[in-house]
Amino acid sequence: MILLAAILLGIPAGLLIAHWRKRPWSLPPLRSVWLVIVAFLPQLIAFYLPATRSLLPDGWVAAGLVISQVLLLVFCWLNRRCAGAWLLAAGLALNLMVIAANGGFMPISPQTASRLVPQEVVQTIPLGSRFGHGKDVLLLPDDTRLVWLADRLLPPEGFPYQVAFSLGDVVIALGAFWLTAWQGQPLCKLDKKSLEDPI
Amino acid sequence: MKTTLAKLFLFTQKINRQHVQVALALLGLILFVLGAGAPEGGDPGPH
Repeated sequence: MILLAAILLGIPAGLLIAHWRKRPWSLPPLRSVWLVIVAFLPQLIAFYLPATRSLLPDGWVAAGLVISQVLLLVFCWLNRRCAGAWLLAAGLALNLMVIAANGGFMPISPQTASRLVPQEVVQTIPLGSRFGHGKDVLLLPDDTRLVWLADRLLPPEGFPYQVAFSLGDVVIALGAFWLTAWQGQPLCKLDKKSLEDPI
Repeated sequence: MKTTLAKLFLFTQKINRQHVQVALALLGLILFVLGAGAPEGGDPGPH
């Protein structure tokens, strides 16, 4: 949700900036959007569809997540001319590093998890097992590789929506905001070919 | 029915290439952030 919020904030910001610059708002013509759809499919099956997400073994889910994120990195490379794409790629790379280093899932500590659900619930989840149907795995900080890249950031206590997020998520959110607000500029000087065949 | 189809046809004619391009880019961006990010909102699942 916090990542979608970056896009939702970026659109009105982009509209304001476009109004100020007296030009229509648009998103940069991203290349190979089909690759994002293909890359997202394993995650749709593994994390989002209730009918399928509880059926898959954890090993498959972990492999699917890593493969999916590698494909998303390829998408970033194909769109490297857009300024925001570099931030998206950097955030994704940070998440991918910590996920790959911890068995294919994003680590979350019991302490952080207890801010999201009651502590009694966290205590019923064995260490090293997945935290629900999401991308996270419950791990002690001492057992976590690249712990500073894990889901360890939280909004202030009392904030109505509690969510744990990583440094990579923050960078991705900044990239998504940049891309929607500044429309991929100033580096998005698209060559003629990409304008003719953007998708 | 005929009028509805005619209206639909007129509406689709107004959708130009740029609208489709923006919609696709937005869809791609939304799917990208969902796929690239890993925030945890607190669904402890079936444990």
